[in-house]
Amino acid sequence: MSDRTQLWRMAPTELAPHEDALTRFQTELERAGGSSVCVGPGELVGEITATLAAAGAHRIALTADLGDARPVIAQALEIARYDVVDYDAVADDRAAVRDLDATVTGCLAAVAATGSIVTGATGAGRAGALVAPTHVCVVETRRLVDGLASLMRLAPRLGAGSMMALQTGPSRTADIEKTLIVGVHGPKRVHVVLLDGVLDD
Amino acid sequence: MIGIRRGADTARGGHLPDTVALFPTCLGDLVMPDTVEHAQHALGVCGLDVRPVRGGTCCGQPAFNAGFHPQARRVARVSLRALAQTTGPIVVPAGSCAAMMSRHWVGLFAGDRDAELARQVAGRVVEFSAVLATHLDVLERGHLSWPGTAGYHDSCHMLRELRLSGEPRAVLGCVRDLELVPLASADRCCGFGGTFSVRYPEVSVAMADSKLDDARSRGVDVLISADPGCLMQLGGRAERTGETPRVIHIATLLHEAGLR
Amino acid sequence: MSEDPLTSSTFAERARVQLAKPFLREAVPRATDIAVRDLRERFAGHDYDGLRELGREIRARTMADLEDALATLTDALVANGIHVHHAADAAAAREHIRRICRESDAARVVKVKSMATEEIALNPALVADGLEVTETDLGEYVVQLDGDRPSHIIAPIIHKTRAEVRETLSRVAGRELPDDASELTDFARERLRDAFMDADVGISGANFGVAETGTIVLVTNEGNGRMCTSMPRIHIALMGIERVIPTLEDLSVMLPLITGAGTGQLITSYVSMLSGPRGEGEPDGPEAMHVVLLDNGRRALLGTEYQEVLHCIRCGACQNVCPVYRQVGGHAYGWVYGGPIGAVLTPLFLGTEAGGELPQASSLCGACDDICPVKIPLHDLLLQLRRTRVDDGAAPWRERLAAELWAWAWSSPRRYRVVTRVGGEVVRVMAAAGLMSSLGPLGRWARGRTLPTPARRPFHSRGERDV
Repeated sequence: MSDRTQLWRMAPTELAPHEDALTRFQTELERAGGSSVCVGPGELVGEITATLAAAGAHRIALTADLGDARPVIAQALEIARYDVVDYDAVADDRAAVRDLDATVTGCLAAVAATGSIVTGATGAGRAGALVAPTHVCVVETRRLVDGLASLMRLAPRLGAGSMMALQTGPSRTADIEKTLIVGVHGPKRVHVVLLDGVLDD
Repeated sequence: MIGIRRGADTARGGHLPDTVALFPTCLGDLVMPDTVEHAQHALGVCGLDVRPVRGGTCCGQPAFNAGFHPQARRVARVSLRALAQTTGPIVVPAGSCAAMMSRHWVGLFAGDRDAELARQVAGRVVEFSAVLATHLDVLERGHLSWPGTAGYHDSCHMLRELRLSGEPRAVLGCVRDLELVPLASADRCCGFGGTFSVRYPEVSVAMADSKLDDARSRGVDVLISADPGCLMQLGGRAERTGETPRVIHIATLLHEAGLR
Repeated sequence: MSEDPLTSSTFAERARVQLAKPFLREAVPRATDIAVRDLRERFAGHDYDGLRELGREIRARTMADLEDALATLTDALVANGIHVHHAADAAAAREHIRRICRESDAARVVKVKSMATEEIALNPALVADGLEVTETDLGEYVVQLDGDRPSHIIAPIIHKTRAEVRETLSRVAGRELPDDASELTDFARERLRDAFMDADVGISGANFGVAETGTIVLVTNEGNGRMCTSMPRIHIALMGIERVIPTLEDLSVMLPLITGAGTGQLITSYVSMLSGPRGEGEPDGPEAMHVVLLDNGRRALLGTEYQEVLHCIRCGACQNVCPVYRQVGGHAYGWVYGGPIGAVLTPLFLGTEAGGELPQASSLCGACDDICPVKIPLHDLLLQLRRTRVDDGAAPWRERLAAELWAWAWSSPRRYRVVTRVGGEVVRVMAAAGLMSSLGPLGRWARGRTLPTPARRPFHSRGERDV
């Protein structure tokens, strides 16, 4: 097999040596049309609430990969008068899913070189991170990997279940005369909250 | 540049001995003999003893590209044997013919009684502007001048098989007052493609128009190429539409610039 | 479309039709130039050629023992709880898919863009079975509504104006939609949302099938790939057997190649890696997943001089650089695949009678070779197809005669000089008399270009000596 130790020289989906992963992640996500912010554990709930407010979202679903933080976030959102459900509870209810304004998910990993978040069928479900116009994703910074090669090596141990998906920014198309339109079947708004801490605290 | 394919190293130039053979090619011989003479003189000015090859006809490319290998071989053999009588570098003032001879003759004659001859001759073939590019100092001293703007068209075989694109531009860079304007479509096919040009004439002409429109939109006075096939195609179309630019061989440009 | 373009028209005829479309003449160069520019920018500062070589090597290694790779893939898919079906040809593939739909009492199908499903002409067969089929890529949706065909591997409606898209969608809406790409997309989004939610079956292709883990990989930007493989209770993936790659790690080479070469992006918005139906404890997903492995002429290329065409990852880059495609678009090629890859695949898959002409519709410029992310030697394959056509006796007698006459005339220096002197005279006289158009190939040349007059004194008659 050819030498892939120098893959970073060839593939733009890899981090260069000594390149800062966090900076690169935020840069690429922004280039792809998403946004991100770094917060400490005490600021997490506030950031989520502010994002949902700015998006004018009302009906929110939270996915299982938020771990122990899920009930905490749910409670805070309910207090703030949001209509909150667990994604697992409504996933098979087409009408309920269609009605969602936003979903808040965790992730299994995030890829610095591409600005991608990685979710699994076990945590966020197949469509938890996809189905609403606004997606807020909590990424614990410890889950950041350098590039696609690292992700693929790690993949079998991530416990994604029947599907592992990379998502990079909002959904898009350029089919009509090459005009870029953002927000097709997936979210129009993607906001990543980079948590300097652990969700299960 | 994206994608590098190895070309025959000799065809790209390098230090050459003083005596060289000049293979006119069929198009050069029949349709652009003045251009071949310009090339001959240019090589002479560079201090080379140029011996035009007699008894050669064609390199066989039209038939080879059309899939007629026995016929291509039959014709190429005549040129091969004539060239086998020469020694030293074989200069070819046509990019596609230089590529055919240096890169495809070996395959064309594989298993043939002249296989060894083909290998030996192929290794001596060198494209015209690649030779001149090793004599830039001579060209500089020649006080060449051609006031005006020019676009350079990279012929496909010269660009992609011989990997020659800097060399002709470096040669043109020795001509004072000549402003070489980069064309957006410089590396795009002119639409000749041998039999393609007469099998699908409308598409071929559309491709020529695309190049000529690019050149015209930049207001160039002259469009330069190092391949007679491309010159016929682009020149023929420009003439038919009665418009600029002139389309000429690099050797002719140098001749007009005073290299004699 | 009931009429098959390949058998009912020639490339020249189809090209003529396309050349007469002003929008196409402007839209195709613009879109393809952007794609090529974006590809070059994407790899600026990186070794694209080095990555291409890694890609070529992965593909070559796989094809060297495709059966082994497929066996590994099949075992892994089955171990994941995926039903695997082997389809020798298009009819068999259609039959598998129809049966799965029938047995699951399906009424509505949603589809992700898949060239393989076009190749087997799936949609008409499902519609004939009474199924409601909806394409969910925006471009493919429009194509479907128009009864049209996609004209580019990646950008299916590169040939359509916004006005045409508006007209089509307005017809479906039953009202005049605004002339705005964003609003048109919103309308399609709403419509297709219904389709996703109501569908029983989601059908996709597969960009790659990872043998090591039994994983089907889909790349999209719109999100419809994810929707079609999440909402419906059945997922069927139609995968060409040559799309298998050995390991997950190989994706770290293949993904940047397919995306960079396909659209110039760093990564598509969505990369789905599907390794089975809904698992234990998962909140959503299909209850059953099927993979149909499609042969349809692929195995026949193994061990031949055309084997390398199986390396293709259907990125469309060759179309983006092709100077012929630039002028005539995809429909001129008459089948599913256009541009250089189409000119090679069509005769190989459909035979020389249907597709034999296509390798001639190339100026052999070699730009496709230089850009192909897995280094398929398309230029050499085109030359080989031309040679095979002659060797198999499929070249018309006029062409063979012309080649023979030319070879006879030019295989002796003396004959060459005599024939070219006489021929030169004839051409000069006819040109002067304005009779060029009656001279066959020379006439076809002269339609758009002046023919350079053969020189009165060819080079061989100049100089001191004459042989």
